[in-house]
Amino acid sequence: MQGETTGRWQAIRSGFVATMIVWPGVAPFGMVYAVSALAAGLSFAETLGMSLIVFAGASQFTAVGLFAAGANPISIIAATAIINARHLLLAASTASYIRQSPGWLRAVVAFQLTDETYAVGVQQFEKTGGDAWFQFGANLSLYFIWALSTVIGSLLGALIPDPAGLGLDLIFPLTFIAFLMPMVRDRVNRSVALLAAGISVAAALWLPGSWYVLLAGLIGSAFGAWFAGVTPKTTPKEQL
Amino acid sequence: MSIWLTYLGMAAVTYAARAIPLLVMRNNPPPWLALWLRYVPAAVFTALVVPALVTTSGAAGRVLSLGPAVLAGIIGALVAWRTSNAILTVVCGMVSFWVIRMVMGG
Repeated sequence: MQGETTGRWQAIRSGFVATMIVWPGVAPFGMVYAVSALAAGLSFAETLGMSLIVFAGASQFTAVGLFAAGANPISIIAATAIINARHLLLAASTASYIRQSPGWLRAVVAFQLTDETYAVGVQQFEKTGGDAWFQFGANLSLYFIWALSTVIGSLLGALIPDPAGLGLDLIFPLTFIAFLMPMVRDRVNRSVALLAAGISVAAALWLPGSWYVLLAGLIGSAFGAWFAGVTPKTTPKEQL
Repeated sequence: MSIWLTYLGMAAVTYAARAIPLLVMRNNPPPWLALWLRYVPAAVFTALVVPALVTTSGAAGRVLSLGPAVLAGIIGALVAWRTSNAILTVVCGMVSFWVIRMVMGG
């Protein structure tokens, strides 16, 4: 039992540490979220409460805008559902790595699964195999920085410059490029990425919200499965 | 009070999207689904990267915008391809973004 507990603790800790790579991309937006929430008339408790209870960046920004516009709760909840529908795909992908872990643990992991921690988890699992405790540590890490940056943003308020003006919104895609490139060293994944690039840009321009992630994710990966089926088998080494 | 109830509703729909696949997929997926899921990461990562580089959100919605971010993204991709180092990728990408923007006088 002692050994198992130590192993868990180490997995949680390495997930937590591995996720620090995305902190610089996330923290500025946690702060800006807090500033815009306070400006929209939410109290400090309500501002932090949304970060702790909902914990989904893009939908929190949208909700703040809707609160400010005096939208009714149902439309705010509906907007949240639409924006976060992409998590269905991320969760299905994560499930394929950690489905053997206990149900309660998967239920806990689900609460804090985000774009960022999904990415950190998957690129680890591709190397070492799935580990729900690693994912839990990664999730905890992002939860921590999101809550902390919400608090700091509330305290500093209007002193915070616009991160998009500084180009800091680039940190997020750049971090994901670093996750993506090692993944596209084989022909199938490269084709998947090219197709997903085209679909996601077209869908981002013509569809609202974050449907483009779900759409490009579903079609791109389905194409990959088909393409892998018609491509002559390669050994794992060649696939790299 | 209604604001906290709204939060609970938001949390419920978000949790449903995150939890249902994780809780339902307990057994070995059928081979076609396993193969499909194998290519989800590359597709999702790409969808999170490329629109963020080539579009901007404004009052009129999202529009195509080919500027310094695209070049910075290409430089980042080259660094990531050669080094597989995330920190170096972000640093090189950000520095090249600021330099390009300065040169272009943005």
